Amino acid sequence: MTFATTKRRALLTAAGIAGLLAATPALAEVTVLGWPGGPEETALRAAADAYNAKPDVAENDKVELLFFNRDGFWDKLQADLAAGSKAFDLNLLATYSIGRYAPFMEPVELSDEAKAVYGDSVLATMQYQGKQYGVPTDLSLHFMYFRKDLIEALLKDDAGKAKYAEISEKYLGKKLEPKTPDEWTWDDYAATALYFTQAVNPDSPTRYGTVLQLKNLLFNIMVWQSVPRAYGANWMDDSGKITVNSDAYRKGLEIYKLLYDNGATPKDSLSYEFAEANAAFASGQVAAMLQWNAAAGDLTSKEKSPAVAEVTETVAPPAGPEGRFTHIHGLGFGLNKNAENKEGAAKFLKWLSSKEAALTYAKNSGAPALTPEVVTEVAVARPDLVKLGEFAGKYGYVMNGATSAKALSVYELQAKEFTGYWSDQQSIDDALANTEKGMADLLK
Amino acid sequence: MASLRPSGQQTQIGAMTIARPQSNAPEFRLLATPLVLFLLVFLGFPALVNLVYSVSEVSFETLRQPKFTGLANFLSVWSDAAFWQASWFSLRFGVLTAILECLLGLFLAIFLSPLIERRSWLMAILMLPLMVAPALVGLMYRLVLHEFVGPVPYYLWTYFGASVSFLGPGSAFWTLVVVETLQWTPFTLLLFYMAYQAIPSEIAEASAMDGARSLQRLWFIELPMMGPTIAAALLIRFIDGFRVFDNVYVLTGSGPGGSTASLSIYIYEAFFKQGAIGKAVAASVVLFVASFAVLYSLNALASRRKGAKR
Repeated sequence: MTFATTKRRALLTAAGIAGLLAATPALAEVTVLGWPGGPEETALRAAADAYNAKPDVAENDKVELLFFNRDGFWDKLQADLAAGSKAFDLNLLATYSIGRYAPFMEPVELSDEAKAVYGDSVLATMQYQGKQYGVPTDLSLHFMYFRKDLIEALLKDDAGKAKYAEISEKYLGKKLEPKTPDEWTWDDYAATALYFTQAVNPDSPTRYGTVLQLKNLLFNIMVWQSVPRAYGANWMDDSGKITVNSDAYRKGLEIYKLLYDNGATPKDSLSYEFAEANAAFASGQVAAMLQWNAAAGDLTSKEKSPAVAEVTETVAPPAGPEGRFTHIHGLGFGLNKNAENKEGAAKFLKWLSSKEAALTYAKNSGAPALTPEVVTEVAVARPDLVKLGEFAGKYGYVMNGATSAKALSVYELQAKEFTGYWSDQQSIDDALANTEKGMADLLK
Repeated sequence: MASLRPSGQQTQIGAMTIARPQSNAPEFRLLATPLVLFLLVFLGFPALVNLVYSVSEVSFETLRQPKFTGLANFLSVWSDAAFWQASWFSLRFGVLTAILECLLGLFLAIFLSPLIERRSWLMAILMLPLMVAPALVGLMYRLVLHEFVGPVPYYLWTYFGASVSFLGPGSAFWTLVVVETLQWTPFTLLLFYMAYQAIPSEIAEASAMDGARSLQRLWFIELPMMGPTIAAALLIRFIDGFRVFDNVYVLTGSGPGGSTASLSIYIYEAFFKQGAIGKAVAASVVLFVASFAVLYSLNALASRRKGAKR
């Protein structure tokens, strides 16, 4: 065999393979980029399996899931969408990031049942400029987690009540009496946190009264901002004027500062986020904390939190003069503008907004906020979803401007400035003034 | 002794003459083309885009239509207190970790040398920290130092009743320095051990016969002979420390009030978190120019010293 023959055969083989590849129809699955790890992934997997098992779903429209790390998830998604990525047809969406991603996404059509399943307020968590950009799958809000054994013991203990009054007068300037957590104001929460702190009350059964998550991280500001909100805080008024340099924000910042400075939360709280706070509470050395609803499963599981599972209760966050509030935001799925299989993706989204999908999602660890009529169907298996829907309806709020394109940047700015105050690197006046100026630039 | 002397298209090595290809020969150009193309595509193009973005107002929505704004981004970086705070953090972190890693690596290389000579597998164990990704090291220390999960705080509380803040505002910097030093000292140990082993044994024997004691031998003979390796290790470790990102970001983020933001973190946050792409790129251009100036100065200094010795 000559070299020329060999070369000709190699070229023919290569051309044949190329032709074969070109003739093969592209695989057109619907690729969904989900929120990795945790109950959201479990629920999405179950929903995708249920959808793929349906006889009327074409082979080319089967759903395939894609996950990457939670760290920097939104930044990576931002870069992918801006680059026109076709790696996924549907992607995760959050209330606070809709404005940021809307230019790279397309509005979606929901099923006819969607309104009856979720209700208007929950569907609104996935809307931007009047258009529906996603199907709401999980709702996040905050619970006040507390040790009922400790609180019940305090309510029966006269000496403890006297000590409680003494501590509250010394640190908060007013004598307070212990109350059940469902009646707490933020002052009651602060007084209870100080009472159960060994640095303040050496007889306390716990090392710390609370655990604050104070890492310079946007999600921690979402947890904290229900405090100033209870005193009337908002990002901006109806005319668009930034209103963070206010007494309400000042009060919220000062309550956390008081607790940190007096050792009511671990000294390393300035590096704490979700996981660290949960670990502290689960150790049995913390009396109460404000935390995302997503922690409820772990903190009430005997396997995962044996020290506290049986004595942990949850209520809505404490009240302030303006009422009782919890930050809410939704996670959901929307359509990538550059999706390769838009038709298949739209079909899946429509199904995902149906009652069948919502119940599948709920039964498999998801946290959809369902209307009272629908939630009754899973109330036995998921009693926490009843509370979720109730709290979202009664106490849920979204700050003015918190769905804008720069909402995440505003949270980042607040995290940097406010942690600067809590760690004594700047005064409260500077922190509020810098935040006001930065927000005016971002939201102009 | 063989002399190395270039002469036109030939190189003379002692009695041998080796033909050198002309740099403008066609085959030379042909062979260099892939490399040149690679550099143009993967370094030249991004560098050019970066330069354009650094003088433009640009966001993720307008990546393809940047608006020229002159030096506004550079002025914004220059007047940003956070940029200088991050620069100061990076400089302190880079210098301190480089010095600590070199001192510790040097001590271990000399102190453990007789042991490693006999049991070379020890070196493989000592190198293990290098195998771990810096982000994982950060995660590991998040657990190790956590007051309710980590072993270090547990023992401190159990035996001393002390709740030590490792990542609080006053101690985070030093904790990060220790974590970085523990991970990268094996690298300097490896370099110094090889340099130490390369010192001819005849020199040690001769100095011993001349009556030099161990410390004198170390100070006047071994350390000067290891000098170039020590300088190279210091430079490499300083550069690595200066541009630190992974473990710091995982452990403390940018820290309360941005107190542990290195320059890399500053650029990352400006780019992704604030969407200030022009500002982030301008900061990276400033960083590049500063690094180039430092390296150029060091190179010039080294050349001058070399010339003075001749």
